[in-house]
Amino acid sequence: MSTISRRNFLKLAGAGTASAGLLGTPLARAASASRVVIVGGGVGGATTAKYLKLYAPGIDVTIIEPKREYQRPYGSSEVITGQVTMDDITISYEALKTRHGVNFIHDAAADVDYDNKQVITAGGETVGYDRLVLSPGISFDFDAIDGLTAELAETKLPHAWDAGDQLLELKDQLESLPENPTVIIGPPPNPYRCPPGPYERAGLIAQWLLDRGDKSPKVVILDPKNGFTTDYSMLHAWNDLYRFNIPKPARSKYSEDELAQLKTHDEPGPLEWVMGDLGGQILKVDANTMTVEAEAGVFEADMINIIPPLKAAKIAFDFDLVDGSGWCPVDQKTFESIRHPDVHVIGDSCIAGAMPKSGYAANSQAKVLALQLKALMAGNEPLEPVFQNTCYALAGNTDSGMFVADVFRLKDDKIVRVDEQRYLPFDATEGQIRLAALYQHNWMKAFTDDCFS
Amino acid sequence: MSRQISKGAVLALAVGGAFIAPSLHAETTEANPKGVMTAQTCAGCHGTQGYIEDSAYVPLAGMSSDRFIQAMESFADGSRPSTLMGPLARAFTDEEIRAMANYFSSLPKERGQADKHDEGNDS
Repeated sequence: MSTISRRNFLKLAGAGTASAGLLGTPLARAASASRVVIVGGGVGGATTAKYLKLYAPGIDVTIIEPKREYQRPYGSSEVITGQVTMDDITISYEALKTRHGVNFIHDAAADVDYDNKQVITAGGETVGYDRLVLSPGISFDFDAIDGLTAELAETKLPHAWDAGDQLLELKDQLESLPENPTVIIGPPPNPYRCPPGPYERAGLIAQWLLDRGDKSPKVVILDPKNGFTTDYSMLHAWNDLYRFNIPKPARSKYSEDELAQLKTHDEPGPLEWVMGDLGGQILKVDANTMTVEAEAGVFEADMINIIPPLKAAKIAFDFDLVDGSGWCPVDQKTFESIRHPDVHVIGDSCIAGAMPKSGYAANSQAKVLALQLKALMAGNEPLEPVFQNTCYALAGNTDSGMFVADVFRLKDDKIVRVDEQRYLPFDATEGQIRLAALYQHNWMKAFTDDCFS
Repeated sequence: MSRQISKGAVLALAVGGAFIAPSLHAETTEANPKGVMTAQTCAGCHGTQGYIEDSAYVPLAGMSSDRFIQAMESFADGSRPSTLMGPLARAFTDEEIRAMANYFSSLPKERGQADKHDEGNDS
């Protein structure tokens, strides 16, 4: 630090135009800036960096991220079914670097020295911080399902749940399927990234097979759970679009009046949802015989897409930020780790009360964190946070959209959901359903820009 | 750390103009913290600070506070049809809606104007 103390400097920096004279030269700013180091250049890390630079331009912000480009997982199931390409989901860091002045170190963070407040990269570089942020995403618990391994996920049994080449592998498998195949989708137990995602993927694949001309394809969802975010809208849409019969135990999600309007199909269509109460829990998978053993019995398949149970990213474990739940406990007002001071964890890896593990949630947490870091680093009290989450999803047919929309607040130190209607109403018009799909498609660019541009 | 600082300094010099724009925002976080806290939750769809071009989403930057409040009220009571704005409008408090309205109406409609405005302030 230079002759101006860090706290005083930041007070000046926070005063905006009043301090413009002092901050006139970028060199003066950089030489005395306090430092935020962010591990992970995904939605949470990128948004934190961008908004920190917007709200507190005097803070020096560095992202440590091995990849040169980001592949967005949100909306990436459409790579499998060909609506978008890998290029479409690949995002440049250029705007963060040049437009917002975020430093990048394209290397893996290998170790941390909490006493001396330093991150050590795989290449041996030491990066000092005043506040450290981790937004490292997820990892997979392959051991939870007998027969599943990380190696098989790269070949015959891709989960394709973290973008990357597994999407292309699954796309190849889909395009090579025999006529009227059986596809098994295995959603993970709670909590997991992108709650409506596995079901949207099932719908997209069913629609793709129908579009190919298959008359009686099967997409069987073997699910450990009895419900999922957007189930109310998704099951209704499938009932309407795909001759889907809503399983008996799931009928309680609807009122008597609504049930009377749902159809019962004598010849059900491609989608089948084996929910937890009906034996959907997967016990074992055999990649050689292409069979899946669930509580309900043994299923033969032509393509198997099991998303294993999720946990915090490996680096969160390496950095000792995870508790027995497999996720990172944080102060839900500031996202400061319960386990190590001056370290903040946001996004999928953290335990954020009622907030889901979604891109929008990570983006919303990142902006709150930017404001809290600005306050804390200036020696001020953190602010009362407000969060939002919006997830759009498609039923399969890309003109049929739905969403969940929530506002969250802090109550008794926990993030809670404001209890409001959160889905399209049962009697949504065709126009509202089509508009939801249109917004879904527009959201990909709008949201990406808010995080990365 | 010297590498990092010098890198930051070089970037700062290289994109000098881009650093000017944030000063307005830094100031706004002090003047209307609730507005910033609440309005930033809209940006995941409506663009950073409500600036968005050629999208199905309505730009919010520069919208008059009357129009913003009227829109949120009519979404909330259902008199204006919507997809998800009805539930969202109902979830925010009147005070939050006013704070958001003040925030968005304080911004120029065009981002270009914002930059000019900022440059004027800073130079």
